[in-house]
Amino acid sequence: MRKRILIFLLVGFLIYLIDIALNPEEDNKDIYISDQELISLISAWKSQVGRDPTDEEIVKIINNLVEEEILYREALLLGLDKEDRIIKRRLAQKITFLKQETLPDNPNQDVLRQFYDEHKEKYFIKPVYSFTHLFFTKETDSLARSIKALNDLLADKKSIDSDPYLLGKNFTEKTLEEIARNFGNSFIIAFDDMELNKWSGPFESSFGHHLVLLKDYRDGFYPSFNEIRDQVLSDYLTLNKENAVNQYINNVKSEYRIIINPNLKF
Amino acid sequence: MKLSKSSIVLIVALGLYLIYMFGQSESSLEIVDFSIDKSKTQTASITSNEDRNPYYGDLHVHTSYSFDAYVFGITATPDDAYRYAKGEGIKHPMGYEMKLREPLDFYAVTDHGIFLGMVNAMADTTTKASQNPLAKPFHNLNRPENLNDASFGQRANLFSSIIGGNIVEQYPYWHPRVIKAWLTKNSALALKVFDYDVHKSAWADIARAAEEHNDPGKFTSFIGYEFTSSTNVEGGNLHRNVIFNSSEAPIRPWSRIDSINPENLWTWMDKLRDKGVDSLAIPHNSNGSNGQMFEMETFRGYPIDNAYSEKRMRNEPLVEITQVKGTSETHPLLSPDDDWADFEIMNKRIGSRPPTYSMPAGGYVRDAYLRGLRLEWTRQGNPYKFGLIGSSDSHTGAGAYDENNYWSKVGLLDGTAMARGSVPLSADRVSMLIEYAEEYRQPLSISEEEQGTYTAPGFFDQWGAAGLAVAWAEENTRDSIFAAFKRKETFATTGTRAAVRFFAGYDMQSIDLNSESLIKEAYAKGVPMGADLMAEGTNSPDFIVWAQRDKNGSPLQRIQIIKGWIDPGNSVPHEIVYDVVCSDGLSVDPVTNRCPDNGARVNINDCSITQGVGSAELKATWSDPDFEPKAKSFYYVRVLENPTCRWSTWDAIKAGLKPRAGLHQTIQERAWTSPIWYVPPKDNLDIIPLAGSVSAKD
Repeated sequence: MRKRILIFLLVGFLIYLIDIALNPEEDNKDIYISDQELISLISAWKSQVGRDPTDEEIVKIINNLVEEEILYREALLLGLDKEDRIIKRRLAQKITFLKQETLPDNPNQDVLRQFYDEHKEKYFIKPVYSFTHLFFTKETDSLARSIKALNDLLADKKSIDSDPYLLGKNFTEKTLEEIARNFGNSFIIAFDDMELNKWSGPFESSFGHHLVLLKDYRDGFYPSFNEIRDQVLSDYLTLNKENAVNQYINNVKSEYRIIINPNLKF
Repeated sequence: MKLSKSSIVLIVALGLYLIYMFGQSESSLEIVDFSIDKSKTQTASITSNEDRNPYYGDLHVHTSYSFDAYVFGITATPDDAYRYAKGEGIKHPMGYEMKLREPLDFYAVTDHGIFLGMVNAMADTTTKASQNPLAKPFHNLNRPENLNDASFGQRANLFSSIIGGNIVEQYPYWHPRVIKAWLTKNSALALKVFDYDVHKSAWADIARAAEEHNDPGKFTSFIGYEFTSSTNVEGGNLHRNVIFNSSEAPIRPWSRIDSINPENLWTWMDKLRDKGVDSLAIPHNSNGSNGQMFEMETFRGYPIDNAYSEKRMRNEPLVEITQVKGTSETHPLLSPDDDWADFEIMNKRIGSRPPTYSMPAGGYVRDAYLRGLRLEWTRQGNPYKFGLIGSSDSHTGAGAYDENNYWSKVGLLDGTAMARGSVPLSADRVSMLIEYAEEYRQPLSISEEEQGTYTAPGFFDQWGAAGLAVAWAEENTRDSIFAAFKRKETFATTGTRAAVRFFAGYDMQSIDLNSESLIKEAYAKGVPMGADLMAEGTNSPDFIVWAQRDKNGSPLQRIQIIKGWIDPGNSVPHEIVYDVVCSDGLSVDPVTNRCPDNGARVNINDCSITQGVGSAELKATWSDPDFEPKAKSFYYVRVLENPTCRWSTWDAIKAGLKPRAGLHQTIQERAWTSPIWYVPPKDNLDIIPLAGSVSAKD
């Protein structure tokens, strides 16, 4: 009687072993999809596309989510996460992001203001000029003609004998660099101390002589903190992200011991 | 008939398998919005100029994402390329700095669609793509120690192996990826080395860089890529750059692997346009197409018809006439009476190994224009009615536009004067080249000349400093510049910042060239470059030309108008070059139609140019002395500057040597406008050109 039970147990055990061999560990094949997850996916979809998804589309979203989860679990089962360089890199990235995000998203005004003061030059807005001009081509006696024209203008004569300028007549809100591009580098001295609404010149460009009438001028300025707050905030956050990550790495490095072959030949 | 259980299971399994494959749409027609929300405060408003401003740019730039740029040792990213265009300095693979003298107004990074991003991935030994055995030759290709001259042989060979298709090994036909490729119409999936995610993310990065650097009113960037096709049998170059107008673009570029036939590219572009994404394609290097860029039949050898002509013109309103790999305006054999035809002629098929001869007919723009008129005459439509731009085709992210600061195009392969063929080779380099010829079974590419041993002529020495694309647009924004491209109001320069205006009309004589309202009147009374001028009875049109020099370049020597036409009765083509206005107040000889020599010379010892000759600007009103009201014709402007040293002469002088004999020592920088086509009234001829193979009806 005991023998039979033993045999029974043995056979049972054998069957059990065969079953394990043929059917490897079945992990829990249940996938739970939380309401939070669905809601976040749907709102991401909505902000991308601009409207609510239809029923069909929601089904698709869920399908994609499910498929991804299934593939992920199958991959884990196969041990694909071990020794994979890309996964390691991605995880390293992930913790880096986490460390970056430990910064409060809203640094207070004083901190920002200080940052702005330290980096003021970066935000300087160059002066711009709006002007029209009369052009006298080099092909003729441009200097003499321009001087005569200036006198005519001052004497209030209406018709001035000037030439058309290929790059244009009226220039609005141009910086000195942009003016140099259109007239030549030596031309920009014309704009030192120029009076508004008064014909001045003649000034020489690469193409001849010009009389310039400055219509509007906006001084270079440092924008007020409030105007530029968004830009300062984003720059501040960027810089601090970098600092936070570096600091974290330095802190944590000291805990590790590196073992490497000093005699490696390659 | 009852199926056995196992066959039912098999069919169901196959069905599910197909559904799984099919369910993921990777269609090339899927559109992605790459726009970036930029909350930068805009302090300057965008001013619009109704008379239009000239905007200078480059629509042909490669970065490390291009398979061949990476092979050439380029590590520049799209961001680097855009920063360069805006005026910052970036590094050349050989270590020196590249910097523009003056920033550009627009720029488009156009990496090769085929294998986009793949070579970086294959070279980076930490990626999955690099684990593929076919990727082994690329491992760590651009590690810092390998960024040198000595890696030349390895790189040249890798380049050829990619082009030659050695790494386009496919999976077997039953493999899931092949089925997927077939079902989702993404043929590249069937290739063993292709990693779709890498490809998509490379493209997304290029689009992101374009979006980040686009600054409406100040600087315009375009999302784009290069469709690198060639003909199946002869390897004639059929490359085109595809430029998108907005921040929306397809999820992946349509490449040579999808279809080598450009007509399918245009079909794809048409479909995208229907979906609201506009684009245009710009062919280049027709000089290296062995005559196949501008053929008189379609890619597959069928007759051209009106539908084809319209489709081609709808998608390809522009052609890149000049770039680093030579100029394709015309060839001395095609235009024997044009004294300036021998300009930067490059006569090899692109990518061929060893560099193989490319025949002229069908490979040059002026010839193409005449072919277009002939096709129109035989009622086949005119597919060659394009406008002109120039560009660089630089693979370093930075175009080399100036002859005196020329780093050519392909990074390590031609980054030194020796490699470019302008100065003699060192003994080391000679032995390296001998080794290379033996190892890779190529002809020995050195030439023993009087002055020393040089690289064999006919390759890098034929290349030259890049060109620029210029558009007349109301403001520096994508919409405005793209609209200028579409209406062909553009001109090409050989890298100079000269500016040109061109108009035609019947009442132009009434316009005073010295009045401030010159441009307004010209637009009102006539048509600008790129447009059609309809006939007005038998009236002869007048043309206004106006050019201004590059303030940092050479003075202007003359303005020419080049006319091409076909005989109304038999479509025999003709062309002629008229000098229209000369510098220094000289007059055109009415018999020869030529300006006298203005005495401009170049001192070859130091590249200085004659002072006091040439003009800062030239303008004139001109009418055609040989006008034929019934003949289909085109007129385009060519502006010539006083001669200056060619880059090869600069290289030699900087090395303290004499320029190499056999190369041009000087060049005349120039600009070409898009043509104005004169459209005569319809003829009422019955035309049968080829025994009924082409329909004679309209």
